[in-house]
Order: sequence, then C-alpha cells, then structure tokens
Amino acid sequence: MSGYLDRYARRRSVCHRLPDGLKVLLTFALIGAALVTPLERWPLLGLEALVAFSGLSLAGVPLAYLRRRLALFIPMMVLLTISLPAAQGFRGGWELQGTIVARSTISLLALLWLVNVLPFDELLVALRRWKFPPVLLATLSFTYRFLFVMWDEMERMQRARKVRSFGRGGLGFLWATRSRMLGMLLIRGLTRAERVYGAMCARGWNGRVVHLEDDPRES
Amino acid sequence: MHVADSILSPAVCVAAGAVSTVAVGYSLHRLRDQLADRTIPLTGMMAGLIFAAQMVNFPLIGAPISGHLMGGVLASVILGPWAGLVALALVLIVQCLFFADGGLTALGVNILHMGVIGAWGGYAVTKIVAGRFASPRTGLMVGAVVAAWLSVVAASALFSAEFWYSHRGTPDFDFTGVFTLMVLIHSAIGIGEALITAGVLSQVLALRPDLVAMLETGDERGRLAPLGRFLAGGIVAALAIAAFLAPFASGHPDGLEAVAERQQFDGLAQDNRVALLEDYAVPAPVDAWSEAGWWEIVSVSLAGVGGTLAILAIAWCFTRAVSRPPDPVEVST
Repeated sequence: MSGYLDRYARRRSVCHRLPDGLKVLLTFALIGAALVTPLERWPLLGLEALVAFSGLSLAGVPLAYLRRRLALFIPMMVLLTISLPAAQGFRGGWELQGTIVARSTISLLALLWLVNVLPFDELLVALRRWKFPPVLLATLSFTYRFLFVMWDEMERMQRARKVRSFGRGGLGFLWATRSRMLGMLLIRGLTRAERVYGAMCARGWNGRVVHLEDDPRES
Repeated sequence: MHVADSILSPAVCVAAGAVSTVAVGYSLHRLRDQLADRTIPLTGMMAGLIFAAQMVNFPLIGAPISGHLMGGVLASVILGPWAGLVALALVLIVQCLFFADGGLTALGVNILHMGVIGAWGGYAVTKIVAGRFASPRTGLMVGAVVAAWLSVVAASALFSAEFWYSHRGTPDFDFTGVFTLMVLIHSAIGIGEALITAGVLSQVLALRPDLVAMLETGDERGRLAPLGRFLAGGIVAALAIAAFLAPFASGHPDGLEAVAERQQFDGLAQDNRVALLEDYAVPAPVDAWSEAGWWEIVSVSLAGVGGTLAILAIAWCFTRAVSRPPDPVEVST
C-alpha cells in the first residue's frame, strides 16, 4: 500500500509551497486547456504535456512512479476508445482516438501533480475553509481515517487466505472465497463502526465535528 | 469503469456534475432528517470498506485482466439509498483526489454512473424485485443480483450516449458500433458484479442479517416513495432494455456488421463482427412466422429475456453454492 500512497506529497518544493487554492486552480486550468485544444492544433497538446511534466519534475515526483501509473493508464484508455476505430472497421477514427488518449494522459499528469503536491489532510482543511458542506466533510474525514484501517484489515485477511489455501482451487472456489472474505470484511467494518460510534457517544459526540482552531465557547 | 478527464465534452461533464450535486445534496438532506450523528461514522466506514473491497482482485482464468467489485448496489442495500449514494460519492472523491483514479472534471460523471445509477437505481430495482418474493431474504438476494447486473449495463448505456453526445460532430462517428461494444463488454462485467454482490450479501445475511437496512421493516432509513421507486427502477430498466434492443431497432442486425457491409469488405466482415451476436435470435416455431416481419422483433426480445434468465439462473446457482451454513469457527470472529 505504501508504494501507492501520496508519499511525494510531504516534500518542500516550489510546487508544494504554493497556496492550496492556486494548486487546485492550476490543475483545473491545465485539464480545461487539454479538453478544449482542437484536433488541428495538436502541437499545443505537446506543449501542455511539457507543462504538466515540468510541474511534476519540479515537485520531485520520480519518473519510475509516473511510468508505473502511465503503464496502467494508457493501455486502459486505448482499450476504452478502441470502439472508435472499431466502429469504422479500423479504416478511420484513429486521429480521434489518439487525441482522446493524448488529452486524457495530459489530464492524468495534471491530476497526479495535484495529488502529489497537496496531501489529503491539508485538502480537508482547505475544503473546510472553502465552505464545503460540513456533514459531507465530516464523513469524508472519517472515510480518510477508516481507509487505512480497512485496508490493513483487508491485507491481513488476504494474507491469512493465502496461507491457508496454497493457491489451489478452481475459478468458482477463488470467487467464492474472495466474496466471503469481502462479506467478512464488511461485517467486521460495520461492527467496528458501531463500536467507534459508541465510543464517540461516550465522549460527548453530538453530530458536530469540533476542530482545534474552533472557538471553544461556540460549541 | 472510472471515466478519466477529456473523454467527454465539457457540456456533458457540467450536466452530469449538476445532476450528481443535486443527488448528493438531496441524499445529505434526507440523511440530516435521520440520526445524523450515527450516519457520519457509519457512512465513512462504508466508504472505506468499499474502497478496500475494490482492491480485492477477482481473477479471470485465461485473461490477464481481473475484475473487482464496484459496490453501488451493495452499499445501498446495506445502508439505504441516501447513505449508499453518499458513501459511493465519497469513495469516488477520495479515489480522484488521493490516487488520481478517475478524472477531476469527470467526477460528476463517475458519481452519476456508479453512485446515482448504482446506489439509487440499484436500490429501486432491488426493492421492486424483492417485493415479488414471499421470503424477504430470497427476494433481497435475487433483487440485488438483478440490480447489480442492470446497474452496470445501464451505466455503460448512459456512458455510450454521453460519449456520442461529446463526439457527435466528428465525421463517421458510429454510435451503434460504440454502443454495441460498450454494452456487450459491460453485460459481461455486470455478471461479475452480480456474482460478487451475491457472494458478499449471502455471507452478511448468513452471519449478521441485522446489519442489512433493507431487511428492516418500519425503519424510515432508506424508504423510497412508491412513485419515486417506480420511476427510478423504470429508468434503469429502460436503459438496460434499450441497451439490448437499440442495435436491432436501428434496422441493422448489428452495428459493426452494418459498417463492414457498407465499406464492402465481405471476407473480413465475417470474422470482424461480434460473434456473440451472430445467433442472437430465436428460430420461429412455425415456418410461416419466420417470413413475417414481426417475428424478427419478437425473437430478439425472446433472446434478450432468455439471456437475462440464463444470467439469473447462473447467479442463483452461485448464490446457493456460496450460501451454505458457515463453519462454527467463522461465526466466532
């Protein structure tokens, strides 16, 4: 899991020091630019890719990470859009497909930049400042907290399953065991949620999240 | 299933974003009427759970790809449609802003496809189907299986329409071909979603049926007005039915084949068309019928119904296979 997380988001580069709002704005601007670049002006797409790429190198995101993400992303995009040339018997539609793949790759680079310069907990603080609906924000914070707990739980169950099954069994067996595992994960998670809720009630939870920077006299 | 940026036009993204914002806003409004203090940790946990569940790969023999659960129907059956939609929306927000999975501008589209269709539509379909069964558990299982399959197919049909709207100005863009491919692929993906949903749900029903909101009676959580239920279910069903009938209703037997014929490469066309569709009609029982024009339409519908029933039968067998009473060791967790 650690190889997949925002481990480059805690650095102190030029990009990381930008204000949070500007980071989000820049990302939207680049994605928007890629979206409206017409087919005939394809050199502009190259320029946008260069901008995204230099942003990523300024932020100190290593090439190996980008390669891993793109190696998953580009084949998927090509498969998704293969219906365009396929619908024309592979006689045309390649330009359209190429443009869509190029545009979405640039957008992915832009989004990867955002994800890697803005840690999620800081994003939550920023969202709060921007008056994001409080109930949704509170639930989002819980999601962020429980994510790691559930992920660890899932990894433990997967490890236990591997140890016991020795990789044997047919397809039906594999699907049945994995579905059951997810069922157990669900039961454990929901039971844990009940326990957490009980503990929160015991500590005076009334449905309103109190932040450290809040005025204590208000609550 | 995650739509990335720049695939759909800005107009489609804005429209889908508006629909999703209203849907999530309405769900939050409904949740606030209930026990808000309890739903916040529960929904957060559900979102975390779906997130972790999506990381479990379901292998496919003979293919380098593997599938995973999407979870819209599962979340709404367990938490009710309002919390289910919010949980799905949160999963998508985290996946977008934490892992760069799914586009930033396409976030509304993704919430519409997986959240609104998956959680709301899936809940409505489950409720309708479950109402036809005397036993609430059997009804719930069958309903969830049908809803899981329908919601995936309906989402792919909607995506095809959005895709067409985004690129309709492009010369030679063939909607039927895109539609046929997308829906065919997703009706297979939908079987996987239905099987996983059935497996997970049967496990939960066997061990902790009290966790499933839909089984509770007299609880206001997740209750949908009959008209709303009918409308939502009808829309999802119509999308899925349209998915099956549209390639035929356009007057061509199959989009790919039609394009191949138009472009005059006969030898290639035979190999090029989607093999699954080749015999997608039921032969007429009476010879005179096969000459009548209407038999073509009826046979296609019959084939569609037959296919759906076959999928249901497979799902039912799978459900029976995995819902044996659990071992005592497993209960004691």
